[in-house]
Amino acid sequence: MIKEILGALSIVAIPLIVAGFVVYAAKKKVPVYESFVSGAKEGFAVAVKIIPYLVAMLVAIGIFRASGAMDILVGALSPIAHLIGMPPEVLPMAILRPLSGSGSLGLMADIMKRYGPDSFIGILVSTMYGSSETTFYVIAVYFGAVNVYRTRHAVAAGLIADAVGMLGALLICKILFG
Amino acid sequence: MLNYVWLGLVIIGVLTAAGNDIYDAATNRYRNGDQFEVQYDSTSGNAGTVVYGTRYFDKFYDVNLESSNGSNVPDTMKFSASLNDNTMQIKLSDTTPSLWETIAKTAGDDKQITATVVKRMGTSLFILLPTTSLVKTKAVLDAVISYSSTAVEIALGLIGVMAFWLGIMKLAEESGLIKIIARMMRPIMTKIFPDIPPDHPAIGAMIMNVAANMLGLNNAATPLGLKAMEELDKLNPKKGTASNAMVVFLAINTAGLTLIPATAIAIRAALGSKDPTVILMTSFFGAGLATIAGIAAAKILQRLKAYRIEEPASEGSGGEEK
Repeated sequence: MIKEILGALSIVAIPLIVAGFVVYAAKKKVPVYESFVSGAKEGFAVAVKIIPYLVAMLVAIGIFRASGAMDILVGALSPIAHLIGMPPEVLPMAILRPLSGSGSLGLMADIMKRYGPDSFIGILVSTMYGSSETTFYVIAVYFGAVNVYRTRHAVAAGLIADAVGMLGALLICKILFG
Repeated sequence: MLNYVWLGLVIIGVLTAAGNDIYDAATNRYRNGDQFEVQYDSTSGNAGTVVYGTRYFDKFYDVNLESSNGSNVPDTMKFSASLNDNTMQIKLSDTTPSLWETIAKTAGDDKQITATVVKRMGTSLFILLPTTSLVKTKAVLDAVISYSSTAVEIALGLIGVMAFWLGIMKLAEESGLIKIIARMMRPIMTKIFPDIPPDHPAIGAMIMNVAANMLGLNNAATPLGLKAMEELDKLNPKKGTASNAMVVFLAINTAGLTLIPATAIAIRAALGSKDPTVILMTSFFGAGLATIAGIAAAKILQRLKAYRIEEPASEGSGGEEK
């Protein structure tokens, strides 16, 4: 029941928001077409502004992944994973999730294909995917849009959030399905 | 800190690639120059099938397909192939060992391996696979080129939705709707973002961004988030440096709290899950914890010396770089 409501909500949300906003603006005597266009004009500039930040971030992550350093990192971290009861199969997911959106998506599909989507590992790996965002992508894009390059503690806070998300996913899956 | 992370990714990447390639060359991992024996069955004309034993492959490359592939590996490997004079082309398939996939990819072909036939004895053929070296270095080179263009594609792909949502947001701003939304969430937002005036457009934009994320509307969430960043930057006294509010907002976004993890559910459904939406509750729990941890971490870290904006040489608590 909740699932159906949520599903329907995500479909009707955008049309409703858009219609609501436009009607409300018209009621407030805002010249709707004019002000929509003047806002939309900035779209191109913002998208172009994030290109250098995104290139820098994605290339560095691409080099790291292509070099095989991931495998070494997985090997180094597997004793810790073992200690907290994380199945070794999902460890690459925990590492890749903050780095690469498309990479972790492919990895999730791959792991579920191998172990089955309804197995414990399958449920865990998709929960992990859903429990976090691609931190480095978000940082590059969001800070890039406002030309912020001294990001201070953003990376640390983002990675702490990721780590907690991964551990939370492990915990809840162990309780419910383990 | 991003400087160090970035440097680390690049340097570790390049060094690891070099190390891996040197190790592969020293152990002749790809058995360059060694003849591999296969059974060839001609079916029609140039086409046929290539068969070899899995044990033989394991021994030849000193690997264990069984353990690296996890599940049941058949005793023999069978692939379709074609034979022209002394050139054999072996098609790649789902069962192709990853080692051979790497050989094909490094030779610049992801559909087949082109091998040279050295010797024939009845149906037995001795073949030489293409010489394979500097695998990881080539992969790094490819990654640099392909990821740079991916970055541009992603950015340019944003232009349309970006323009649309910035237009809608402009309407909401000029009609005063953003302020109304901001006012509704005032009690929470003033706690999380004490530095931002409660009816500032940044608050409205951030609420819209979080709402879009919650509903799984990724297309809308990014433009709204960028709009929020722009508004936050207007209040930022030090341009080019992240403000406290920005980092908190980022932390919320990197946690990715959503009611509908649409992508994960779609993949689960596509792979034949009996209950694709079983992860709704679990990932909400995980991302919820991540959100709380992210906000808390941002709030605590912003006080550390290493991350403070100005250093008013007081109450020195040494901040450790993570």
